[in-house]
Amino acid sequence: MDLDVPAGSFFGLLGPNGAGKTTTLSMSVGLLRPDHGTAVVLGHDVWSDPVQAKRLLGVMPDGVRVFDRLDGAELLAYTGMLRGMERAVVDQRAKELLDVLALADAGRTLVIDYSAGMKKKMALACALLHGPRVLVMDEPFEAVDPVSGSLIRDILQRYVLGGGTVIFSSHVMEVVERLCSHVAIMAEGRIRTVGTLAEITGGRELEDVFVEIVGGRTATGEELSWL
Amino acid sequence: MTGTFLRLKLRVLRNGFRGKPARIVMFCASIFLGLWFGGFGCIALVTAFYPDYPELAALIPPLGGALLMLGWIFGPLVWFGVDETLNPSRFALLPLPRATLVRGLLAAALLGVPAFATAFAASGLVIGAAIWHGPVTALVTLAGVVLGVLTCVTVSRSVTSAFSNLLGSRRVRDLAAIGLALLAALLGPLQLFGISAAQHADYRQLEGFAGVIGWTPLGAPWTIGVEASRGQWGFALLKIVIAVAFLLLLFRWWMATIETAMIGTVSEGGTRRTGSPSAPVARLFGRLAWFPANRDGAMAVREARYWWRDTRRRASLLTFSVIGIFLPIVMNLGRTGFSFPDGETIGTGPLPQTLTLIGVGVLGGLGVANQFGFDGSAYAVHLITGVPGKVEMRSRVLGYSVYIVPMLLIISVAVTALAGEYAELPMRLGMLLGSYGVGLGVCLLVSVFGAYSLPETSNPFAVNTGAGMTKSLFALGALVSAVALTAPLAIGAVLVPGLWVWLSLPLGLAYGAAAIWLGVIIGGDAIDRRGPELLAAIMPRD
Repeated sequence: MDLDVPAGSFFGLLGPNGAGKTTTLSMSVGLLRPDHGTAVVLGHDVWSDPVQAKRLLGVMPDGVRVFDRLDGAELLAYTGMLRGMERAVVDQRAKELLDVLALADAGRTLVIDYSAGMKKKMALACALLHGPRVLVMDEPFEAVDPVSGSLIRDILQRYVLGGGTVIFSSHVMEVVERLCSHVAIMAEGRIRTVGTLAEITGGRELEDVFVEIVGGRTATGEELSWL
Repeated sequence: MTGTFLRLKLRVLRNGFRGKPARIVMFCASIFLGLWFGGFGCIALVTAFYPDYPELAALIPPLGGALLMLGWIFGPLVWFGVDETLNPSRFALLPLPRATLVRGLLAAALLGVPAFATAFAASGLVIGAAIWHGPVTALVTLAGVVLGVLTCVTVSRSVTSAFSNLLGSRRVRDLAAIGLALLAALLGPLQLFGISAAQHADYRQLEGFAGVIGWTPLGAPWTIGVEASRGQWGFALLKIVIAVAFLLLLFRWWMATIETAMIGTVSEGGTRRTGSPSAPVARLFGRLAWFPANRDGAMAVREARYWWRDTRRRASLLTFSVIGIFLPIVMNLGRTGFSFPDGETIGTGPLPQTLTLIGVGVLGGLGVANQFGFDGSAYAVHLITGVPGKVEMRSRVLGYSVYIVPMLLIISVAVTALAGEYAELPMRLGMLLGSYGVGLGVCLLVSVFGAYSLPETSNPFAVNTGAGMTKSLFALGALVSAVALTAPLAIGAVLVPGLWVWLSLPLGLAYGAAAIWLGVIIGGDAIDRRGPELLAAIMPRD
């Protein structure tokens, strides 16, 4: 597959379960070594020039834990120090992020005891802390309540307006339709279609386009009659 | 219903092997080892009934059986881990009566290499009884052996289940530490007795001891056949009653602990702590603020926090602290406080003492042998950030040593104080720290090249199917090679004992530091090259 994410775009990677979204994103941020091929972030190859590339990236993986036996503030402080940031900057940004994401109330609760939505917000905070140029997120809106979801959307939109690039995977069509400037639909490990949102939908509902490209439902209503 | 559990276990085992040749090799190796030890035990137990040597029947079944059972109790806690293929909490939502669940879990636990090896070994008793004492005695012996094997499996399950409950709850973790210490303290006198008995071969004394053991639940099931072979049918019946009663008690205890484990996984309140809203970085460093406030310092601090906050790591720390304190003390008691009527003392001489110190030091390093497995998928954070391998390794050494080095200091002071030879303190310090460094250096390499995933459960002793063998092999390999690498220290202590009192500390420190440095360099380089592969190895997929 060959995928080009334009700088400054809000890019949605769509696909059914098992399409290879997580695999693709993992390989592009250096978590999974590809058999062949490259991933380039703003001119820096992730696999041959990892230090520069990883400095520009903010990553929010799905199904991957953070160091969750720290509390929220500790985890952010740790992430900041890990990124080699100044102590004062870490303190200030961490507090701000905790306040904005409504995580400050959790106090000294360990992240492992957070609810699923809080964990997502925490992971977002960790990815944003060092002010990356590119944000790669795997399923950022899964298990997030509507209030937190809209908060995350606002933050991401502001981030893109400020010149950042966001690429995220999802299978929630409404979110993609509302947020994204660019969309790629993949299935069975291949990119099926890619372009700006307007190009791909052509005025139709994104869900209809998606089902048509990926292959539609087969249930006719005869099954599950015992329900 | 029990059959369903057995089939489930077999299915899970088989699926675990799919596409994992290394696992199959490990499994075959464990079968081979099981056959080896089982066969050896079987032959030993057959000869126990040889009529020409009646004293064998008085000694081997109770002592061997009790040792076996002790192995089943302590083995999983300190060494193998527990195969949690069928994790009780996964059945929490099914409408199963507890008795059915426990029966099924027991049956599934019996279906494993250790249980088969034990049964194989114990079958020697039945064979011996059948050869020399006729079918009726053999049948009674068989009943005893079945009871014994069931007790072994049940006791190991219930003990680990109880311990995981204790360690899983943050409130009673101190209690758990004390409990573990007490259990190990029980081992101390037994070990002393074993050493003295082995050295003196005083069969009268040993026979009395074996007789007592034979009446405890540890030895009762194994000696039922012996009583029967002597025609003491009343005693045999009494021992059957003891064994059955103990087994039933264990069942009740296990059921209770399973209940707690099943509920305990759902929620655990009381962690919502409120503290002064100090700055995040200051909060992260906390009492460890003497580490530099930069990336390396933060990583070491995080590692140190994890050694206490992660129950699995805490379990390994506590286990080491108990072994590390008791082993040298037990070996040293033989020198000052435990002498025999004929004036002979045990455990004297520089070599056993030196070896004990080296063993403890190397064991101290063993904790990091699967340090990445403890992190699981969280290690991805370091990979995303692009942490250099050497920094990774160095910070882990520092974070772990925050606990172990003070512990080693305490051990050497305590042992010296017990022995009363304060001039030998630098010697002990040098040996302990030097061998700790070597153990750490070796285990750093093992942690990169032999990393394996741990299941995400509340049980700190849980390992994946077949991983118990992997864990043991890697640990054993690391131990053996580390002990071999400390040979210069041991040789120095034996060749020039007088001089060594002073040379040991500087030489030991230098030697240990060099070993750690090598481990950091080589291991760090390996991490730089194969970070994603390491992550894939420790991802808890199954």
